[in-house]
Amino acid sequence: MKGLKYQMKRVLRDKFCLMTFLLPILAAAALNFMGAIDLSSLGELHFGVLENELSPQAVTWLERYGPVTVYGTPEELAAAIKEPSTNVIGVKADGDILKTAISGDELDIFQQAAATLPALYDQRTGAEPVKVLTLERPDILENFQDIFIPAVLIVAMFMGCTFNAMNIISEKEDGVAFVNEILPMTPSQYILQKVVVGFLFGSLSSIVTACICFRLSWQNFGRMLTLIVLSSFVAALIGLFIGRCSKDLMIGVVYIKLVMLVFIAVPILCALIGAGGPLADICNIVPSQPAFEGILALSHKNTDTALKDAGILAVHCVVWFAWYLLISRRHKHNE
Amino acid sequence: MGKEFCALFKKDCRMLASGKFFQMAIGFLVLYTAYVNLGYIRFMQMPPYHVYLYDPDGTQTEKSPLVHTVSSMEDMNTALLSDANGVGLDASAGEVQVILYKGAEHVDRHRADYALSLLRPSSSPAPEVLGTNTPEQKARKEIACELLFFELAAVGFLGIAALLFKEKGMGVIRVHAVLPLRKGMFLLSKLAVFLLSDLVFAVLLTLLNVGLADGAAVLPAVLLQTALLSFMMALVGLLCALLLKDFRQFTLAYLVIAIFAATPVFLSANTSVKFDWIGWHPFYHVYIGLKNAYFGTAISPIYYAGAAAAIALLFLAVLLSFRREIGKEG
Repeated sequence: MKGLKYQMKRVLRDKFCLMTFLLPILAAAALNFMGAIDLSSLGELHFGVLENELSPQAVTWLERYGPVTVYGTPEELAAAIKEPSTNVIGVKADGDILKTAISGDELDIFQQAAATLPALYDQRTGAEPVKVLTLERPDILENFQDIFIPAVLIVAMFMGCTFNAMNIISEKEDGVAFVNEILPMTPSQYILQKVVVGFLFGSLSSIVTACICFRLSWQNFGRMLTLIVLSSFVAALIGLFIGRCSKDLMIGVVYIKLVMLVFIAVPILCALIGAGGPLADICNIVPSQPAFEGILALSHKNTDTALKDAGILAVHCVVWFAWYLLISRRHKHNE
Repeated sequence: MGKEFCALFKKDCRMLASGKFFQMAIGFLVLYTAYVNLGYIRFMQMPPYHVYLYDPDGTQTEKSPLVHTVSSMEDMNTALLSDANGVGLDASAGEVQVILYKGAEHVDRHRADYALSLLRPSSSPAPEVLGTNTPEQKARKEIACELLFFELAAVGFLGIAALLFKEKGMGVIRVHAVLPLRKGMFLLSKLAVFLLSDLVFAVLLTLLNVGLADGAAVLPAVLLQTALLSFMMALVGLLCALLLKDFRQFTLAYLVIAIFAATPVFLSANTSVKFDWIGWHPFYHVYIGLKNAYFGTAISPIYYAGAAAAIALLFLAVLLSFRREIGKEG
C-alpha cells in the first residue's frame, strides 16, 4: 500500500502524465460540441458584387441564396473571387441580365451554380409558387461520430499504457529501477503496483469520456464499465511491456506512438471496410478491436456482441498478465 | 573559417544520418505522396446536385438532359436517401412538387429553384473565368502547401529538437566552450544542415504532388518561403533545446505548439471560417506566405521585412542562450 502511495505521488507530479489524462476528455468534449454544429452551411454559396452596380432588388434576390459581400473596386472583387480558400461567385449586371465570374478552381457544385445563376434570375418572375416538401435529413455526422467516439474512448483507455510506460522509463532514467531490483519485492507485487496506477487513471479518464459522449441506461452503463475496466487493464499491462523495452524516453515516445497508431488504426479500418469472418477474428489479437466493437455494439444496444467482446478482453487480460509475469520471473531467475 | 564550417557541417550531417532523420523524412514523403495521389484527390469532389423526376404522365416535355427520370416514388425515395443532396420533383399529381432533405436554408432554396429551372431550361452566358487553376490543380497545391507546413512546423521540428537534445545530453554543446571555434559557427552549421534537408524535402514534395510542370513553375517562390520557415523552426527548436531541461519538458511545449498554433491557422486559411484575431497569430502569416507562393499570388514586402526581423531576433536569442549554456561550463 505504501508503495502504491509513492507511485501515485510520482505520477501526479508528472505533467506529461496529467496532460495525457486530460487530452481524451478534452477531445470528447470537442466532439460533442462538433456534433451540434451544422456543417451544411460550409456548402453555402457566397456572392461578391461591386458597389452600386446591382439594383437593390437583384441584391435582395441574391441574398435568398447566400450572403452577399459588396466590394469597392473591381480589383478587390477579382481578388476575392480568386482567393483559393473561399468559393465567392462574382455577380455583375449587364442590362437586365446577370453575368457571373468564377475563379475556375471551384468544386463542380459551385461552378454549376455560377453557370445557372443568370437563367434562375431570368426565370424569377415567371415562376409560379411551388410546394416544397422538406424531409428531415439523416444526420451525416452521426456515422462519423459513431466511429470517432469509440476511437476517443480507446485513446482514453490507452492512457493507462502511457502512464505506465512513462512511469517505468523515468524510473529507469533516474536510476530508481536499479533500486527496485534489490528491494524485497516479488515480481507480482511490482507488477501489481505498476498496473494499478495506469489502470486507475486509464479507467478514470475513460469513464469521464464515456459520461460526456454517451447517454446510457444504468444496465448498459454496467456493461460499458466492464469493457472499460477490462481494456484499461490490458492497456496498463502493455504499458509495462513498453516501459520494459524502451531504453530511454525518446525511444519510449516512438514505441507509444506506434502502439497507439496500431490500436486506433486496426479497429477503425475494420469498421470502415466492414471486415467479417476470419479477418475480424484475426484483428481481435489487437486488444482495442474487441473494445471498439463492444462500445459500438453497446451504442446500438446490441448486448450479445458486447458480452462476447468483454469475454475476448478478459482472455487478453489473462494472457498478457501471465506473459509479463513469466518474463519477469525468468529475468529475476537469470540474475 | 571555411574549413571549420565544413568540419562542423559534415559532423552535423553524420549526426542526422545516425539519428535516422533522413529515413524519417523519406518515410513521411512516401506517406504524404500516397495520401495525396491515392486518397485526397478522390475525396475532394463534389458533383452538382442530381435532380430526380417522377413524371408518369410525361407532362414535362422540355426538361433538361441533366434530369434523371425515375419510374416510381419508391425509386425516388431510394435515390434521395442515398444522395441526400439531390432534389426530387414529383409531377404525378399535375402540379410539380419539390422533395428534398433539409439542409441550410439558403442552400435548400437554391436547390429547389435550380431543380425547377431544369424543367424549363434556358441558355445563360457562361461564367467568366478569372483564375488559371483547375479544381484538381487547386486541390493539389492546397494539400501540398498544408503538408509542407505541417512537416516543417511539426514533424521536422520534433526531429530537430530530438537531435539537439541528444547532442545536449551527450555534452556536445559544452565541449564547444573549450574548442577553438567561433561560437556563431556552431549555430550556422546547424541551420545550414536543416535548411538543406528542408529544401530538398520541399522540392520532392512539390514535384511529386503538384506535378512536374506546375510544380517547377512555383518552385522558386516556394523554396524562398520554405527557407524562411526552416530558419524559424530550426531556431525555435534550438532555443527550446537550450532553454528547456530535457526532452520531456520539450514534448509539453511541442503539444502546445502543435495544437494551439497549427489548428486555428489551418481553419482560417483553408475554410470560410475566419477568426478576427488571426492577424495576430505569427504562424498565420508564415502559412499564408507559403500558400501565396503555391498559388502565385504577390507577397507584400512588409511580410519579408517582418520575417527577416523575426529570424534576426530569434538568432540573437539563440546566440545569447548558447553563450549562457557555454558559460555554465566556465
